[in-house]
Amino acid sequence: MRSHFSREISFIGHRRQFLTLSCVLVILSIVGLVLRGLVFGIEFTGGTEVDFYETGGVTIEQMRGALEVADEGTATVQTTTMQGEAGFLVRSDTTDPATANAHAQAAAKSLGLTSDNYTVTTIGPDWGADTTRSSLMAFGVAILLIIAYVSFRYEFKMSITAVAALIHDLVITLGVYAWFQIDISPNVIAALLTIMGYSLYDTVVEFNRMNENAKQLRDGVHRTYFEICNFSINEVIVRTINTTVVTLVPVICMLAIGGATLKDFAFAILVGEVLGTYSSFAVASPLLAIWKTREPKWAKLEARYGSAAKAEAAPAVDAAEKNEPKEG
Amino acid sequence: MAQKQDREAPRTGLDRWNATESRSRGSKGGRAARSGRAKRRRMNPAVRRYVSTLVVTAAVCVACVFCFTPLGERITTGLDIQGGVSVILTASKQDGAAPSADEMNTAKTIVEKRVNTLGASEATVQIQGTNSILVQIPGATDADSAVQTIGQTGHLEFVRLDDIGDAEALAKIGAGASNVTLGQGTYTAFLDGSYIESTSVAQSSTSVGTYAVNISFNPEGADIFARVTRGLAPTKGQICIVLDGVVQSAPAVQEEISGGKVSITGNFTSDQAQELKTVLDSGSLPVTLGYSESRVVGPTLGQDSLNQGILALVIGVAIVIVYLFFFYRGLGLLTLGSLVVFAALYLGLLATLSHYGMFSLSLPGLAGMVLTTGSAADSSILVLERFREEVRMGRTVKNASVSGARHGIMTSLDADIVTLVTALALFFVGTGTVKGFGLTLALGVACDIVTMFGFKAPALRLLAAHVIPSHPGFWGVDQDIAEAERRSQQVHSARGAASPASPAKGGEARA
Repeated sequence: MRSHFSREISFIGHRRQFLTLSCVLVILSIVGLVLRGLVFGIEFTGGTEVDFYETGGVTIEQMRGALEVADEGTATVQTTTMQGEAGFLVRSDTTDPATANAHAQAAAKSLGLTSDNYTVTTIGPDWGADTTRSSLMAFGVAILLIIAYVSFRYEFKMSITAVAALIHDLVITLGVYAWFQIDISPNVIAALLTIMGYSLYDTVVEFNRMNENAKQLRDGVHRTYFEICNFSINEVIVRTINTTVVTLVPVICMLAIGGATLKDFAFAILVGEVLGTYSSFAVASPLLAIWKTREPKWAKLEARYGSAAKAEAAPAVDAAEKNEPKEG
Repeated sequence: MAQKQDREAPRTGLDRWNATESRSRGSKGGRAARSGRAKRRRMNPAVRRYVSTLVVTAAVCVACVFCFTPLGERITTGLDIQGGVSVILTASKQDGAAPSADEMNTAKTIVEKRVNTLGASEATVQIQGTNSILVQIPGATDADSAVQTIGQTGHLEFVRLDDIGDAEALAKIGAGASNVTLGQGTYTAFLDGSYIESTSVAQSSTSVGTYAVNISFNPEGADIFARVTRGLAPTKGQICIVLDGVVQSAPAVQEEISGGKVSITGNFTSDQAQELKTVLDSGSLPVTLGYSESRVVGPTLGQDSLNQGILALVIGVAIVIVYLFFFYRGLGLLTLGSLVVFAALYLGLLATLSHYGMFSLSLPGLAGMVLTTGSAADSSILVLERFREEVRMGRTVKNASVSGARHGIMTSLDADIVTLVTALALFFVGTGTVKGFGLTLALGVACDIVTMFGFKAPALRLLAAHVIPSHPGFWGVDQDIAEAERRSQQVHSARGAASPASPAKGGEARA
C-alpha cells in the first residue's frame, strides 16, 4: 500500500496535536452536555396525541402543512383508516394540554375540520425507563465483552484504548447533539450504536496490523513502538481511505437529498463515522503507543532508537543493529 | 532500505509471510516451492475446490433471491416505513377502581414484552391518557389474534379442589367438564404464577397431538407445591390449575411432587401452548385490558422521505461502484460481486425471518444494514489491498491471491467478531430499537463472513490462477507487478554494489 504515497505520513509524530484536539473536543462536548443538555424527543418524554377522524380528502401533505403552520412541525403524522374512514394520528412532544389543544384547533380550522373531527389525549413515552435501563445494560455488557475478546485475541492495553476511542466518539457525537439542540429519538440511538460498531471495527483493523508488526516486523527501520505504530497506520491507510469513501458516500447522499427525518439520522452517522476513522489513528493508536512504550522492553528500544536517540551520532545506530534479534 | 539487510533474515513483506506460512502450513509453503509441472498437477484439485465453492454459493444465492422476491412483500417493514395496526386497549379493574399510574406502567411493560415475543419486532407501546394503552404493531393488518394474547391477564393459580366453595363448579369438575369458570372469591389458591421460574412447550404425554406447557417453580414455589402434594397424596386429592379464573385441568395427586415441575395440559394446539407460554413468561397483568378500538395506520416516516432515502442510497451506491472501478479497475468486479452475493444472502435471511414474523425493517434497522454493508465492502477492500501488497512484495499473482486472501480475511474476521460480540450483546440484553438493531447487525456480519469464504476468497484465487496474470492491466495489478520488479532490481543492484548505505532516517526508510 505504501507505493501510493512516496513518504510515510507521520501520524504518531503529531500525537500531541491530535490528542490535544481530541481533549478540547471532548471537553467542549461535556460542557455542552452540562450547560445545554440533551433534548429528548416524544419517544422518551411522552406528549400529546391528536386523533383526527373522518377527514375526507385531506392528504398527509396538507395535514403536515397545517401542523407546520400551527407550530407543530416536528409532530409524527400517520394516516389511519377505521371502518373505511380516513383519519390521522398525530403525536407531538407538546406536553401542555391547553397548548396542544390550541394547536390542534388551529390545524383543524385551516383544514376546514370541526371540533368533532379530533380528540386530544396525553400519551406516555414509548421508550420508558425500563428500556433505557436495558439499553444501558446492553451497552455495558457489549463493552465488557469487547474488552474480554480484544484482551484475549490481542492484549489488554489494546482493548482499553479501543474502548477509550469509542467513548471519545460517542461523547463528541452527543456533544454535537447538545450544542445544536437536536432531538434525541430512537433513530439517533441507532445511529449511536452504528457509530459504536464502526469505531470499533476501524480500530481493530489498525490494531490487527500493529499487533502483527510488533511481533514480526524486523526491517531494521521501525524499531520503537511509536515507529511500528506509525508504519502500521501507513500500511492500512489506503484501506482506511477507501473504506471511508465507500461508507460515507451513501450517508452524504442521504444528507443531501433525504427527507428531514433521514437528514437528522444521516447527520449523526456522518459525524460518527468521521470521528470513528479519526479516533483510530489519532486517539486509539497514540494512546496505545504511549502506554506500550512504558513497558520495559519497548522503553529500552525507545531509549535506544527513539526520537531523542536519533539526535545522537549515526555509528551508535549501526552498532546497535547487530544486536537486533532476528526472527527464526 | 533493503540493501542494508541480511537477505537471509525474514523481514517485512514476502519473507515474513513465507516464514509464517512454512511454519504454520507446511504443505502449502512447500507447494509454492515446487517446480512448475508439479504445481500444475497440484493446482487442479484446488481449482476444483474453488469452483465447487462458488457453485454452492451461487446456488444458495439463487435460493435467497427466490426467498426475497418480490422484495416489498417478503420483507416486513416497520411502522416508520410501512405502518401497521394501531390498537387501543383500555384498562379496568374488577373492583371498579381506576388503575393507578404504577399499575399502568407495569401493564405497559408486560404488554411490551408480549408484543416483542410475538415477534412483531419494534412495536410501539405507549400509555394513552390515564387508563389506555396504545399499541402499534408493524405489518399486521389483522389485530384480533395479537390482541388476544396481548390482553390476556395471565393469572395462573393452583387450587386444591377442597378449597373451592362453589358447589356448582365442583359438580362440573367432578363430571369431567372442561373449561369450568370459577367465580372470584369462591376459591383460595395455594400457589400462583409469581413463583414460576421458567416455562417450556412440549408435546403432551397424555393425549397425542396436543401440547402442554411445562412449568418449573422457583425453590420457594417448589416447597409449597411439595407440601401440598404430600398432604393430598394419601387421599388422591385433586389440584385445579386455574388460568384467569378458568380451570384448565384438575389432576389427582398420586404422590408427593418435590421437584417443582408441573405440566399444564388442556388440549392445546402448538400455537395455543406457545401463546400461553408467552403470557406466563411475561407475568400477569395487574389490570384487565379490554379491546377498545383498532385502526390501520400509515407509516410515520412518510412515503416521500422513504422515496428520497431510497434515491439517496441508489445514487450513493452508484458513486461507490464507479469509485471502486476507478480505483481497482477489473478487481472492482470482485468487490461488486461480493456485495451482490452479500446482499442476496442478507435479504434472503431477512425475508426468511420476516416470514416467521421475527423481523421488521425500520429506519434503525436500515442503519444496521448500512453499517454491515459498509463492513462487507471493507472486507473486500482489505482482501484486495493485502493481495496487491503481496504482489508488490514480489509474490506471483497466484501465491499472493492465496495468502493475501487468507490474511485479509483474518483481519476482517477479527473486526467482524468484535462487531458480532457487540451486536449479540445488544440483541440479548437490549429491548425494542436496540434489540432490532443488534439483530440486523449480527445477521449482516454473519452474511459477510459467509461471503468471505464462499465468494471472495475462491473467486480471487480462481481469477488469479490464469485470468489476472494474462491481463494485468485490466485487473489493475500491472503497477504492483512493475513495483515488485523495480524492487527486485534494487535488491540485485544493491547486492552487486554491496555498499552499506547511510543510516536510515524517519520517513525515507522504507523497503
